[in-house]
Amino acid sequence: MASPGQQEVQLSSLTPPQLKMLHDQLDQEIEVLTSSMQSLKGAQNQFNESKQSLKTICPKNVGKDILVPLTGSLYVPGQLADADSVLVDIGTGYYAEKTLTDADEFFKRKIDYLKQQMDKLQPAVQQKFQSRQVVYEMLQAKVMAHAKQQSKK
Amino acid sequence: MANVNKQVKLELQKELDEFQKAQKDIQKCVETRQKLEAQLTENKVVKEELEILEEGANIYKLTGPVLVKQDLSEAKSTVSKRIEYISAEVKRQETSIADLEKEQEKHREKLGKLQSQMSPPAVKA
Repeated sequence: MASPGQQEVQLSSLTPPQLKMLHDQLDQEIEVLTSSMQSLKGAQNQFNESKQSLKTICPKNVGKDILVPLTGSLYVPGQLADADSVLVDIGTGYYAEKTLTDADEFFKRKIDYLKQQMDKLQPAVQQKFQSRQVVYEMLQAKVMAHAKQQSKK
Repeated sequence: MANVNKQVKLELQKELDEFQKAQKDIQKCVETRQKLEAQLTENKVVKEELEILEEGANIYKLTGPVLVKQDLSEAKSTVSKRIEYISAEVKRQETSIADLEKEQEKHREKLGKLQSQMSPPAVKA
């Protein structure tokens, strides 16, 4: 790859303070990317849970007792009435009535989409990791060379 | 000579403040743009989902604590309009960012010039 080669040339001409700044900057970028990855994974888990819970809404469960949440801490007893369609949150405040199969496909689409995004992020994270490592080693080398110079004096 | 130096120092400080202000403004614009882009992506996703739905499928919009039944074509056009609006906003932010960056460059150059004005007197001393 051409870019790490180019970076090497520039890195060796940087002073230790500049290398430290570059290292800290890469550190921050890695943190941002990692937390994005975590958010994506969390969202994926939520969709997975929704997909799993669809399984309990099936025709043979119609009429069974359920607890319906009215508020965060108030539930009322009820019965499963409709096992044919569900309301799915599709974003920006819109909800769509879908059949069980459509809802299942919807969640599968979302899960796959998130996996795609995570796969896109992964190589970028790797590259930042490597760059940071290289910068760190260059910094160490310079500091040691500088220390040797000082002790010679 | 000392007075001239003081003058340059004051100007330097002023330019530095303006430079930092421009930097903060750029930061704010970048954040706004990022938020807008996230909204844009979400709306695009909703639009796709609405397209997949069959005609006559029931959709509801959440306004406050109320789920209101919506017409599919109406919802599609609302989301499309929102997408257009957000895209225009994003472009606006980008032009702001470009302008602010130009201003920042100007301040940076001035800072450089002032700094070089400061150093020679010190060398002479």
